[in-house]
Order: sequence, then structure tokens, then C-alpha cells
Amino acid sequence: MSSSSSMMMMMAAGGGGGGRGGGGGGGGRSWPSTTSVSASGKRIQKEMAELSMDPPPDCSAGPKGDNLYHWVATLFGPPGTPYEGGIFFLDITFPSDYPFKPPKVVFKTRIYHCNVDSAGNVSLDILKDGWSPALTISKVLVALRSIFTNPDAYKPLVQGIGHLYLADRSKHDELAAEWTLRFAR
Amino acid sequence: MFRSNNVTARIFERQISSPAPGTSVHCARRFYENIVPCHTIFDIECPDILFRKFSDDGQYLITFSRNHQDLVVYRPTWLSYSCREQDCPDHDLPSKANKFESFFTQLYSVTLACSGELICKDFFLYSEKNQFGIFASSTAQIHDAPAVGGAIQGIPSIEKITFHLVRLEDGVILDERVFCNDYINLAHSMGVFLYDDLVAIVSLRYQRIHILQIRDSGNLVDVRSIGEYCREDDELFLNSSTQCMSIPGRNRNHNVGNGPDHTNQMPEGSFLSGLKQRLLSFIFRGIWNEEDDPTMRMQCLKKKFYFHFQDYADLVIWKVQFLDRHHLLIKFGSVDGGVARNTDNHPAFFAVYNMETTEIISFYQNSADELYTLFELFCDHFHSSSKNSFYMNFLSTHSNNIHALEQLRCNKNKASSLPQFVKKMLSTLPFNCQSQSPSPYFDHSLFRYDDKLISATDRHRQSTDHPIKFISRRQPNILKFKIKPGPESGNADTRTKKISSFLFHPILPLAISVQQTLFLQPAVMKILKRI
Repeated sequence: MSSSSSMMMMMAAGGGGGGRGGGGGGGGRSWPSTTSVSASGKRIQKEMAELSMDPPPDCSAGPKGDNLYHWVATLFGPPGTPYEGGIFFLDITFPSDYPFKPPKVVFKTRIYHCNVDSAGNVSLDILKDGWSPALTISKVLVALRSIFTNPDAYKPLVQGIGHLYLADRSKHDELAAEWTLRFAR
Repeated sequence: MFRSNNVTARIFERQISSPAPGTSVHCARRFYENIVPCHTIFDIECPDILFRKFSDDGQYLITFSRNHQDLVVYRPTWLSYSCREQDCPDHDLPSKANKFESFFTQLYSVTLACSGELICKDFFLYSEKNQFGIFASSTAQIHDAPAVGGAIQGIPSIEKITFHLVRLEDGVILDERVFCNDYINLAHSMGVFLYDDLVAIVSLRYQRIHILQIRDSGNLVDVRSIGEYCREDDELFLNSSTQCMSIPGRNRNHNVGNGPDHTNQMPEGSFLSGLKQRLLSFIFRGIWNEEDDPTMRMQCLKKKFYFHFQDYADLVIWKVQFLDRHHLLIKFGSVDGGVARNTDNHPAFFAVYNMETTEIISFYQNSADELYTLFELFCDHFHSSSKNSFYMNFLSTHSNNIHALEQLRCNKNKASSLPQFVKKMLSTLPFNCQSQSPSPYFDHSLFRYDDKLISATDRHRQSTDHPIKFISRRQPNILKFKIKPGPESGNADTRTKKISSFLFHPILPLAISVQQTLFLQPAVMKILKRI
């Protein structure tokens, strides 16, 4: 209830502030953050509606409380991978200049994965240099899901796990499955 | 069939007929209707001690010295005397009947608390199997303690809490367990639960449930600690497998031994704790499976799960009890409710957790009708403190006693709002360990008494000057005995608030009534007994 009412407020503010933002953009003047926030807010609203209409399989996401910029995503460990049976929670934080900057994604659930470091940070190309404003949260979720099935062991964030993945895949899978059992159920 | 209430007739009846199968104990307990603590001895000359309770097998009377340093243990004995004359009942009791020592023999006195610690006078748990007692002593609590070393904000701190394992037979201290800069709710043993030989201790400050085992040898052994991790070797596993990942700056201290040092366990920044992960994934799965249509499911998750995600993630463990050797009933709530005296207004949740499989079995809000129904029908399952303490089966609850059930139904119908009533009833969960007196005089099928003035639940009550009446259940007009909490002559001073507590012996027709004013005046102590 309170989420929908705050969204209404957000949308109203966005509609009013859009013109001001457009006018001031050329001058290079930094406008009060409400303007840019509501512009990005509108975009996040739109993406949320898209995600609700057509969610990618086995994952979901939504804003935490009534803060549109802090989301939680949930991914099921895909069957056939050592992450099977696990449920992984991720924090997604949208910057105020979204979609021009990528969202920040952090694992809240411990995972044994060469692209996730010991603090839960994910290295994913589209969340860094590969980011484009055309990408959406749905696409990010699909990309996150794909790292479960295809870890990028050639560009690992954790060297040890990357090496093990390439050198001894069965040992790697065994360990990853044990981590899933212990920390992601 | 005609049933006499005369004790001689009953004894004859016992000789000639055997009771219906499975009712022999109930029949034997009926004799308590004939043998009641009807005689009150006022003005007992009594040592200056703090009375805790009788051990549940009646073997020991646990008391503490007034300075909260020593444990003083007595054995209840039975004062007997004989007289020759015909008019025996009219005789005055011998003068030794006014002496505490005539009823209780001191076994020993042993110092438990030292170096700034005081014994917690509300705390005592009894392991009946090997007659061990668990006692607690602590230093004073610091209210505005900074949350360091993984502690959560808003919980007070106690510099040192010591649990003592004492062999009650001879007073030998067998083992100790120390918690430093921690907070454990010791009042009425709230933060500790004993089941068989397993002890669950809730560290509110560090959000751990420490499971300890009492060995027959008299040692307290760490079994596991639930909270940050679920399995006993999770931390070891994590450390050993991250070491081979060779990440710089991860030289953490291993702390998985039996050591009492809980201060240097630092949670790793932002990950959900082991128990929270289980809880959140249980809630998530439940909502996910409610809906089949992906769009509807997404709406549902957004409203019921993501919107409340942070509230769920911020829940703290308040209280724990064992349901059996594997299952814990855990109460979760917000931080400010954990140490509050009155937690009725705080939202709370209950989870059943299997500590062997590390699975959450069920999760309820404190207004859940389903949990209330379970509580109403199967209350005894929540009362289980051990599988082999026999007489605890005779505690009157609304699921084993028709009179208690009637009382509950009556209260339920009287309640102005059912959700409020459900919340109030569920606020008693998880139960305090060993808080119920097994005395047969609290058996609702034998006696009727005013629950507001006295009950099997161990707690202090504000005393009234009215006598507390115990009326026979079978003969509704017959007063069996009464307790008058005040002094014999009545109390002239009605202004001062008086607190009374009653200690009933679990087997003998013997009770101690202690009345205290709020100021530290000497207590008025009385012994009720059968002559």
C-alpha cells in the first residue's frame, strides 16, 4: 500500500521535473538530485512493469520496501549445475543516473564461483564496460543466471576457483555443490 | 458407582479393585484430595536466604545467600512427632515445629559468584537424570554498550556471564561456561532451555543459539552454534576452502573449538547469516509455490516478499525452546522487542527449525490462527522439557485437562477481539524452561483455585490479603485448604506493596510461602504442611 502511494508521488514528481531537467541539461548545471532521480525513477518503474509482465524463468526481483533504487533479486540455482537446489539472494542498487550507469549487484548469499569474490561482488562484463543504457533489469537477471551455467573462468575474480574450474572441473563442481548445500539452501 | 471420599474407604477400595488400565497413577493421585497442606505454621525462625525452588524430583530445596554469592542447598525432611493422649489433634505442635531446621536439613553451602559477579536469583535449571543443577552468575549490565565485534545495535551488554554446572548431591562445581561482553536473558531462565542433556543458550547480542551438551562425566561440551552458521563445521569448511582460493587479507582466526571465546567472531560484512538464509529462502519458496502464473507470482512476490525483505532480514532471535532433540521453536522479532519487558505490541514470528538437517520446517506470524490451533490442541508438545521426566506429564494444560480447556474457551469467548487473544496466548511461546511446578495441588482435575492469585507457573505475584482457596473439584462446595499470604494477625499496613511467592514441594504436602515488601525488609515466611 505504502509502496504504491510512494510510487504515485514519484511519478508525479517525475512528470513535473522532466521539463526542468531537459532545459538545464545543456547548460551543464547540476540540478537538484530530485530531477535526475525522478527521471531514472521513471525508467526503473518502466522496467519493473516489463519484468512483472514477462519475468525471465526461475528468477525474480523487486524493490525493497518503498525505495525504488534498492532491489533484491532471487535466483534459483539452475538444474544440472552444482548450484542446483540453492536460492541466491542478490542486492541490486540503481545509481541516480541510471540507465547511464549500470546497477551494482552484490550476492547476499555465499557462493563458490570464480566470478564472485569473497565479499559477494560480481564481475560481469555488462555491469561494467559492457553496460549500455539499452540494457534492462530483465537482461541483467538473464546474464546473472547465465554465470551459473557458464562461469567465465578466463576472466576470474577469484583466481583459485578459476584455475580449479579449468584444471579439475569435477573437484570444482563438488566444492561448489557443497557450498550450495551449506550456505544457499 | 458409589465412590467414597473417605481415605480409609479409598484404601480399602484400592485393595480390592484394580483401576482401569492406564489410570493407576491418576487414581493414586486422588489421595492428594485427602492429604492436603491444611495447617499453616506462622513465624518460622528462618535463615536469611533467598528461596528459589524445589528441584522437580523434590530432593533439594535450592536457596541463595542474601548477598547473592553462595548456593545453599537443603534436603526437605519430614517433621514427625507423636503423642499419647486421646485428643491428639488439639495438641499444640512441639516448639521445634517453628524452626526451619526441623523441615530442612542443610546439605552444603558453596560459593558460586566471585570477582564482581552475583548469582542470578531467578535462574536455576535442573537436570534430573544425573541430579545436576545449572546456575548463572553475572556482572552488572551496561545499557549503552557499543555494538562491536559483530554485536547488534541496541542490545545491552554484560561483561561476564558464567554458567555453573553443580552436582547437587554434594555441591561440587563440575564445569563452567563463560560468556564475555554478551547478553543472555537470565531472568526466569528465559534465555536458556534445557532438554534432556541438551542446553540451548541464546546470545541476544551476537545472535547465536549455543547448543551445549551435559555429559554424564559432568562436562559442558559445545555441540554447535546456530546463527551465523548452521552446521557445526560450516566455519571450518569456509575457512579451509577459502584458504585454497588464496585471497589476500583473509587471515582470520579460527574459532571452532570448545573455547568460551565468542568475542572475535566477526561476521563477514554483508552476507546473510546462515539461519537468515534458511529463513528467507523458506519464505520465498512458500510464496513462489502459491502461484503458478508467472505474472501473478511476480506481483505476489513483490508485495509479500521483496517489500518486506529488509524487515525479514533484520529480524533477531528473541527466544528459543526445544520441541524435541532436533527441533527448536525460535521466536524472531525486531531488536527493540528483544529486551523489552512487554513484547505484546511488537510484531513477532515463530519458526520451527531442525538443527540436524538445518531446515526451517514452518514459519508463522504471532497472529497466525493456524499456530494458535496447534497450541490449543497440542499444548503438551510445547511443554516438553524432557522425554523421561515422568511426573511432568501431569502438568495441567488445556490440551490434557478438560477444566483447563473450559477455562481457556471461556477466556476466548470473553475476549473482545480474537486476533488480540491469539497474540496474547502465543506471547507465552516459547515457554520458559521448567517454569511449571509439578505439585499435584495445581492439578485442575483435583483442585479448583483462582488462577490469578496462584498457579503452577513459577513467578512472584502481588499479594492480596484474601486467603487463596483450594476447593475440591469433585465436591464443589468443599474447601480443602487455604493459603493466607500475610502474617497471622492480618496486616495493618495496607499501603505497602507486597510480593508473595509460593514454593510447592512436587510430591509432599508441603509448601513454603514467602511474602516480601518491595523494600528489603525481612521476608515473612510460612510453612504449610499436613499434620
